[in-house]
Amino acid sequence: MKRSMGWKVGLILAIIVFSVWMFYPPKDKINLGLDLKGGMHLILEVQTDEAIRIQTDQSVEQLKSSLKDDGIKFEKVKRTGIDKIEIIGTSFDNERMIKDILEDDFRDWKVAYSSDRIIVTLRPNVEMKMRDQSVDQALQTIRNRVDEFGVAEPVIQKEGLSGDRLLVQLPGIDDPARVKSLIKSTAMLEWKHVVAGSFPSKEDALKKYGGNLPDDLVILKEKGSKSCYVLRAASVVTGKDLKTARSSVDEYGAPAVGFSLNSRGARKFEKYTSKNIGQRCAIILDNRVLLAPSISTVISGDGIITGRYTSDEVNDMVLMLRSGALPAPMKYLEERTIGPSLGADSIRKGLYACITGLILVLIFMLIFYRGAGINSNVALILNIIILMGILSYFKATLTLPGIAGIILTIGMAVDANVLIFERIKEDIRSGKSPKSAIESGFKKAFLTIFDANLTTIIAAIFLYQFGTGPIKGFSVTLIIGIVASMFTAVFVSRVIFDLTYGKRKKLKKISI
Amino acid sequence: MKIFKKEPDFNFMGKRFLAFALSGLIVVAGAIIFKTKGFNFGVDFTGGTLIEVSFKDYTHEKILREALKGVGLGESEIQRVGKKENKFFIKAVKTIKDIKKSEDTNYKSEETVRIQDLGEHEKVAEIIKLAFTSQKDRDTLKEGKLDINNTSENKIKNILIEKGISEEIATESSLKINGLKKGETGLINSFKDLEELKLKRRVMSILKNNTFLGSFTFLSTEIVGPKVGRDLRSKAILATFWALLGMLIYIALRFRFVYAFAAVITLFHDVLVILSFILFFNIELSLTVVAAILTLVGYSLNDTIVIFDRVRDNVKLMRREKTGIIINRSINQTLTRTIVTSGTTLLTVLALFFFGGEVIHTFSLTLLAGIIIGTYSSVFQSCAWLKVWEKYFIKRRKI
Repeated sequence: MKRSMGWKVGLILAIIVFSVWMFYPPKDKINLGLDLKGGMHLILEVQTDEAIRIQTDQSVEQLKSSLKDDGIKFEKVKRTGIDKIEIIGTSFDNERMIKDILEDDFRDWKVAYSSDRIIVTLRPNVEMKMRDQSVDQALQTIRNRVDEFGVAEPVIQKEGLSGDRLLVQLPGIDDPARVKSLIKSTAMLEWKHVVAGSFPSKEDALKKYGGNLPDDLVILKEKGSKSCYVLRAASVVTGKDLKTARSSVDEYGAPAVGFSLNSRGARKFEKYTSKNIGQRCAIILDNRVLLAPSISTVISGDGIITGRYTSDEVNDMVLMLRSGALPAPMKYLEERTIGPSLGADSIRKGLYACITGLILVLIFMLIFYRGAGINSNVALILNIIILMGILSYFKATLTLPGIAGIILTIGMAVDANVLIFERIKEDIRSGKSPKSAIESGFKKAFLTIFDANLTTIIAAIFLYQFGTGPIKGFSVTLIIGIVASMFTAVFVSRVIFDLTYGKRKKLKKISI
Repeated sequence: MKIFKKEPDFNFMGKRFLAFALSGLIVVAGAIIFKTKGFNFGVDFTGGTLIEVSFKDYTHEKILREALKGVGLGESEIQRVGKKENKFFIKAVKTIKDIKKSEDTNYKSEETVRIQDLGEHEKVAEIIKLAFTSQKDRDTLKEGKLDINNTSENKIKNILIEKGISEEIATESSLKINGLKKGETGLINSFKDLEELKLKRRVMSILKNNTFLGSFTFLSTEIVGPKVGRDLRSKAILATFWALLGMLIYIALRFRFVYAFAAVITLFHDVLVILSFILFFNIELSLTVVAAILTLVGYSLNDTIVIFDRVRDNVKLMRREKTGIIINRSINQTLTRTIVTSGTTLLTVLALFFFGGEVIHTFSLTLLAGIIIGTYSSVFQSCAWLKVWEKYFIKRRKI
């Protein structure tokens, strides 16, 4: 054996050992995609318009009370667009004072005066920032909820170019409905004064007001039924005044949600309840009335929310209230749920197809190229080992299309060997000695292999760019497989040839 | 072993007009189907709900169709998975708003209430679930019994703990029960199967009194909003475009322009022919099928380049010969390689097609067709286009 062969064989062995070490045992080392282990894939859109609208609504209230505090008379302050407020019916004498208020507390707003009204618009750069913030906040809130719920290895990140989309991947979820409602719920908690109710339907409620509901009232449905309540639109307190929530029990020992308000909320609630004993106050979560108890005593900081809840429901509600409300509602753009049995089935079938394909190719190559077939088969098996090793090293995810990619790689990987072997055969036919035929065959085929494979890699790279989840997996295995095949076919096969034939001085015939 | 005793000498170039005619015919046929019927887009591109459902007992498509008609989803696609299995794909393109518009919905009012609190997008899936739930199962659910086939491990555990089983045993039992659902059907067929788990007798009696085994379960649910569908469609077109461009630039750099020209025509040929194939067999165009098309493009180009590489070599070696002869010689010289490589690739893709399962069935079918098309086009199309370019645009020298 020549000295140069020593390091070559050493390198190959080192790569084998490294690859096996990387992916063994495969059960722990190979990262399976959602389609193989089951789970949920969600794409959500944060309704940032809604976040702006909510902010504007709050500013309307703030503006009203500031004007009232300073004794400025006005006819109306109302929101006229998602980011626009109009103050109508103030006299010009007040202009200076209004200007002061706006300059002090409404720096984020642009002010325009016209003959009969003042128009206040949110500055575009501030609005942009608010939209970004609402997406970031939504991301954080969802992460908190998922973490508290306890999902292993979740993926929660921004997706796409529009900036308002979130990708949530939760592997191994066993109860998708529960997790979905956990993520989706805005968890906006409010207490509102009950004006009338309950009514069997929305139409009945409207009838009481002659079909026209006054501006300061709203009709909300009760959770889990069709009945409705007429409520005062302005909230008594909201989830922002919440200090903490915990799971608790009611007087009969049934699960209930306990809550405590912060000092500001407690003061407000105390003031409200003391004035309204005997009346009813509704507790509302995400625009659905949970319950509407009548107020029997003055309540300040603490209370419980009862209902016929299971302990799971109570736990989820507490979790949501604790992790905070979402800044805006979410819209589901895409939802893919794969059950664990389907995933297991896919692995079984994929593996079966892989092994069948591999055996077929091994047999084919052995029959067709005999001695050289053994050579290329060794290279092929090595190729798969390296592929698995690199896959584990980069912590890439193996998906069902990814397995398909491996299967395709098995078929295509031998191409490099075929190209070389055919060249060698050709050169032998044209009268070259086997030794120089091997030499020239490898040399001539190399550029062809390089060009041909690189174009396939280019296609795979674009596939990766465009792909969502599973397709990415396909292109990843395809790319790695092709790169590995160039190494095994060009380098490893050559070494094997040299090892088998290199020692012989006179080589008359090779098995190819 | 050899395929050909000596170097083959087929006249591929002589058949080029036949090949042009054949491909032209296929593409025209495809265009006609496209005009009249259009593509069968999957939910990835149209938006909608795709469910894989598995039933305990033999179920006929007709029964499912009737059930879906009852909830206003009568025109959904129902497709049996495999031949013997009781699994189906249900594809509904309608949204909840479309269903509300039609009057023929008859699910019960108390059940609509449960649906009303769900998000817009998931309502269709829930309505399908309702439609498939038998009256008997509905009644049992109303009694407050838990459907083991459609519930989580946690809920089974909770009910056991509630009935006085220790947490440790409840956890262990529910884990075992859930493990039973990981088989091929995703379902537990009868309490007999549960008995084989050798659970504690008290656990078994609680299960018998408080739970039942529903007649079906959803193996997977995919819901794609219309917005995402549109996005994905344009993304797919863009990816194909950029991939083609990238490969062409590479060829133009490594070879001469005439080769890039012939390669681009061949690639368009491949894409058009595979699309015609997809149209002809009414294969559902999904993201994975697009991935298969792009793979075909890569594979075909790989094949083409091997031949081009030989043409380039031979142009230098055989200065005196005519272009047609050089090309023919090159194709013949690489013919064994072409046959062997497409043979091995075909073998593996066949394995994928027959054993890879229903989920990637359309993917492997497209791949299978793609490899045949790719091999055909690199032999019969790519080089012929080299000749076409030479005839019209290259005057003094050869390709």
